[in-house]
Amino acid sequence: MTWMTAIVRNRALDLLRRPREVELDEEHEELIASIPDESPGPDELLRQSADAGALAECMKLLTGEQQKSITLAFFYGLSHGELAQQMQKPLGTVKTWVRRGLERLKDCLEPRNA
Amino acid sequence: MKLENGQLRERLAAEYVLGTMPPRARRRFSTLLKQNPALRRDVMEWESRFLPLVDILPGIQPPARVWATIEARIHGNRIPRSPASFWQNLSFWRASSFASAALALALVIFISLPGPQAPEALPGRMVVVMNDMQTQEPAMTATWEHGKQGERIVRLRVMGHAEMAPGTAWEMWMLQGENQKPVSLGLITTHETQTMVVPAVMASQLDNAAGLAMSVEPAGGSPTGLPTGPVLYYGKPLKT
Repeated sequence: MTWMTAIVRNRALDLLRRPREVELDEEHEELIASIPDESPGPDELLRQSADAGALAECMKLLTGEQQKSITLAFFYGLSHGELAQQMQKPLGTVKTWVRRGLERLKDCLEPRNA
Repeated sequence: MKLENGQLRERLAAEYVLGTMPPRARRRFSTLLKQNPALRRDVMEWESRFLPLVDILPGIQPPARVWATIEARIHGNRIPRSPASFWQNLSFWRASSFASAALALALVIFISLPGPQAPEALPGRMVVVMNDMQTQEPAMTATWEHGKQGERIVRLRVMGHAEMAPGTAWEMWMLQGENQKPVSLGLITTHETQTMVVPAVMASQLDNAAGLAMSVEPAGGSPTGLPTGPVLYYGKPLKT
């Protein structure tokens, strides 16, 4: 299934990164933002999940900021720029969190994958 | 780009899979990916690390029309006649009233047939004469018979060169008696003769319907799963 997930994800990301033809006006964005989402977020699910296995375990080794930026990027499709905006941190800082987080994840997963 | 540098390659692959690359970098990277096997291997490694995460997300059932559209595209615009395994998978959609309306919409397949003449009322067939609600004149007839797999083959005849206002759609409903919500049979056209197939799971509902109605809805059909516009035609079934 991984290959199919990869296709769907890549296609979705391509669409997401395409310049938007119609921007929502601010009023609508605020309205949409004001709708509460009662369902548990992916980060919550990740914590609860027993299945996510090795990766979930390795995520625990990351700092809070690294975890948060990687989770937001993966599940919500945020780019570096959007992450910086969302987390209200400079772009360079966010990029570093992501990069270090990924490096640490890889080191953690490496022995099992080898 | 210095792609011989394994570390850099690795890092870019990770960012690509994670999805953090800005648009232009992403496009450039996709092009490089096609030419560079080492890069593809790095990307696949990161995919195998990250993509299992997707499994923890709750599934979202796409609306029935998405499937219908995909099927239609696969089969070159010709909407296929009820592939059984597909419909059987839909049973769980009937959880909510909206879902069941969507189900009804999806389950009904229309095949506009220019050929066949208006069917005669033969014994054992169901016939509904639907009157124009304003003039009280007959405006449409619906007759149906049993298909081979228990489905109902419904032939519609629209009389008098009816016209549909632009940006609207005609939606057929079966009425279930008092205090029960009408069930959508899907959209129809203004063609004089058309055929639709109501699947076996809905057959008894159709056979026992208290009446049929056609309402004017926004293009694409009722957004709520219940009639939202005026009912133009309405009629009760006669058994022959």
